Amino acid sequence: MDFLRRVLGLPDNSSVPSEKEDGIIITHEDTAPSAPPEPVVEVPVQSKAGVEVEAVQVVAPDTPLVPPDEKNDLAELGTRPLPPLETVIPKPGERLQFGQLSDVGMQRGNNQDAMMGIVATSTSNDDVPDFGLFVVADGMGGHQEGERASSITVRIVTQYVLNQILTSMLRLEMNDPDQPSISDTLRAAVQEANDAVTEAIPEGGTTVTAAVIVGDLAYIAHVGDSRAYLITDEGIEQVTRDHTLVQRLIELDQLTPEEVPDHPQRNVLYRAIGQSDSLDVDAITRRLHPRSRLLLCSDGLWNMVSEDVILGTVSQHSDPQTACNTLVQMANDRGGPDNITVILVYVPG
Amino acid sequence: MVDTQKFARNMPEQPGDNALQPGAVLQGRYRITGVIGVGGMGSVYQARDLRFPNVVRHVAVKEMLNLTTDQAMREMTLKTFERESDMLASLNHPAVPEIYDYFPSKTRAYLVMEYINGRDLEQIINSTQDMLPVEMVLQWAVEICDVLGYLHQQEPEPIIFRDVKPSNIMIDQHDRIRLVDFGIAKIFQAGQKGTMIGTEGYSAPEQYRGEASPASDVYGVGATIHHILTRRDPRLEPPFTFAERPIREANSNVSPDLDAVIMRALSFKPDDRYPNASAMRDALQKLQKPQVVVGMPFVSADTVSDETVAEWSEEGIQPVWTFACEDEIRSSPVVHKGVLYVGAQDNNLYAINISDGSFRWKYPTDQGIVSSPAVAEDENLVLYGSLDHSLYAVDMRTGQLSWSVATKGPVQSSPTVMHGHVFFGSDDGNLYAIRLATGRIQWVWEGGDPIRTRPLVTGELIVVGQESGYVAGIDLSGQVVWRFKAKRGVSSSPTAHEGLVFFGSMDWHVYALDITRGWKAWALRTNKPIVSSPVYGDDRIYIGSVDGSLYAIEAASGKERWHFETEGQITSSPVFVEGAVYFGGVDKQVYCLDAKTGQLRWSYKTKGKITSSPAVHDGIVYIGSMDHQVYALKA
Repeated sequence: MDFLRRVLGLPDNSSVPSEKEDGIIITHEDTAPSAPPEPVVEVPVQSKAGVEVEAVQVVAPDTPLVPPDEKNDLAELGTRPLPPLETVIPKPGERLQFGQLSDVGMQRGNNQDAMMGIVATSTSNDDVPDFGLFVVADGMGGHQEGERASSITVRIVTQYVLNQILTSMLRLEMNDPDQPSISDTLRAAVQEANDAVTEAIPEGGTTVTAAVIVGDLAYIAHVGDSRAYLITDEGIEQVTRDHTLVQRLIELDQLTPEEVPDHPQRNVLYRAIGQSDSLDVDAITRRLHPRSRLLLCSDGLWNMVSEDVILGTVSQHSDPQTACNTLVQMANDRGGPDNITVILVYVPG
Repeated sequence: MVDTQKFARNMPEQPGDNALQPGAVLQGRYRITGVIGVGGMGSVYQARDLRFPNVVRHVAVKEMLNLTTDQAMREMTLKTFERESDMLASLNHPAVPEIYDYFPSKTRAYLVMEYINGRDLEQIINSTQDMLPVEMVLQWAVEICDVLGYLHQQEPEPIIFRDVKPSNIMIDQHDRIRLVDFGIAKIFQAGQKGTMIGTEGYSAPEQYRGEASPASDVYGVGATIHHILTRRDPRLEPPFTFAERPIREANSNVSPDLDAVIMRALSFKPDDRYPNASAMRDALQKLQKPQVVVGMPFVSADTVSDETVAEWSEEGIQPVWTFACEDEIRSSPVVHKGVLYVGAQDNNLYAINISDGSFRWKYPTDQGIVSSPAVAEDENLVLYGSLDHSLYAVDMRTGQLSWSVATKGPVQSSPTVMHGHVFFGSDDGNLYAIRLATGRIQWVWEGGDPIRTRPLVTGELIVVGQESGYVAGIDLSGQVVWRFKAKRGVSSSPTAHEGLVFFGSMDWHVYALDITRGWKAWALRTNKPIVSSPVYGDDRIYIGSVDGSLYAIEAASGKERWHFETEGQITSSPVFVEGAVYFGGVDKQVYCLDAKTGQLRWSYKTKGKITSSPAVHDGIVYIGSMDHQVYALKA
């Protein structure tokens, strides 16, 4: 939180109002607490599935944030009071909401998936748009190398995006002609994770699907076979393309989707983090229409739960966390052979 | 270098753990002297044959672990191994290593064969920096095809090698090709579980269905030679994407003929390849003979295939009609209700009947017209700017002036009609919003420097580019919402799709911005300035560059899908209609490309450079040329 507090110009923890408000929400799940320490954004770490909410009040229009005591003093002196809380706290459903869950599944002894979810929403005269960062990584490799690869990837992508995008947003520098494009920044973030994993974990690898939401646009970077789906009134659409051998065979009409479950090489990726120095990262920009939902997941979900069932489940639940829990439960009910990670973002509207 | 199977999630028992140590003796005959290689399924050792005590005779001992736990499966695996060993031992070709012996033990099987002193092609690629001489690679390719052809001719069944790749091909001390690793290890590889990263890279598509034929080996040769000639490792690329890495782009020493042979070998469908390696060898050998090249023009294979030649022969395309103006046409035509409107440097706006190209009316201004007209249907107006500083609104039915608005600079911007207003920019730096009904100025936004783009008008926003490089998002009341600055001027008119706005700049880039904020979503660099305006179609953006190419770019990612090279600059803006892209070139040609592949469908040469953009209506392309004519061509 220190980093965010610093860039937001916020006072330290002791002086933050204790009410939990929709402000900056950061949760982080990292399944490899034993990973070596690296300089990272310090965020609450939780080793078990679940969501932890940390809230920080964001600067209100024209009003410097001041500690409560001081605020009262100033009010007595006749300074313009803080605006009513209603103007700061959005009504339910008007801001980005998300749920997330990562589960070891029913058959494996360890969870090699890692994930990250961050939402920063604000109200101010500067009109900083809502910001979200969501990352799913599915590690692979023996001797805990998969866990380490996915953990490092999630941490590095997050650091990079917060440093390059959120900070630039808060500095009001996004219109700077020398500012790299958001897609390029996201690609560079994944490249950086690739460099780190290649160096630190020569025998491990990981997928990554990372989504940055800025206002009504979603920027998605993708390597491997984790997926991003866009769910709208019109249905469910897979936004990312699996970097798998079988997907290529399907595209070349050498395989039908029905044959995939029996294919001996259905688990072969042709691209992943930690594979080589040069990495081709897919970057996709999509508009998020009001009331649409963005789903990120590891193959532990999509291998077990069909798109139609995902669509039906998400449509039934108005709360994203409940929907995540239900989807993970469904994958486990169907055998849960792999780790299952789901992040679900609800767009207001 | 990536080991293709290094990330197996559930690695089998580590073969290195119980590897044979130097000094160990197998069968009382083969003393291990070293390890040649370690693989996932066993090791290859160098050993000395003790039956020849007075000479040092080296052999290679290939060890294969039999990891199957099921008893019946183990026995079947061993049977297959014996059968394959027998088959190998019966072969007689200088490129096939001699087999001396084989014997199974409890958990593994051994194959004793000729020790080859040399390096495999993968080692050779990795130990060199520069391109290898094409003549040498061609000789290797011929020799590889020769031995594979020998295998393919075996009776009663052809032998399929199945695993042609650089690491299975050695160059011995006499510089001859030797084939190693006859895929026997593969028998032992069933039952791998878990996600793995990396594909074989060299295998044909049908092999992933379990089908293998001589044509599959042909694909493997193509893949191997492609790797050597381009130095691009297919294991690090998406599978089956050799065609996306043209050999001659990476290595200009390769002749179009050699390129054609390799690419035929790499066809997705087995039937499209050489039927067997001997046929490929014959094709390669023809290239080895000294050739007379003088006076023999090559036809570049990437732009012209057999079918397209027939289609775009120039006799095939004749204009439906042409219409001559008195000076160059730079303005782009617009078609409305059977009438085409276009401006010319001769100061006139012309109205032409599209049925036969007959003259309807013209309206003169005081200077040339480069602005492209817009139509206001409800008001029956055609609107256009003139270099004489004014915007004109002319009644479409009569050709009479309805009203005009004077600005303080030439009007090169094309107008946009929307929300009951017409929006246009002027070289005086202003963006004007004019009420269509009255010709009254609703508001003026002072942009400070010339605005030459056609304003993009959405439900909430107007986006214009400026010669200073600024791109501005302005709300419908004329207040600026955001500004973005490119490094050079923006005369390319913006277009929008799903929250992004696209345009080109004189700074050589194509930009995509978040339309609500002006933040850069992606940027793609071309090789020269961009004047052409982008068009959206089927998830892609199409735009021309002064570098001479028309680019197809994925709208969501900014990735180039293809580019098509013309023989001059492209300043004309493309039009997308039903899977085809139409545009004109400074090389005087009108082009029609397949939007999906970038393949030429047809082109038509006018007598002048083309900067005008086409209008496509009911299967006819209308375009103006600097030869003063408007052309109507069958789309």
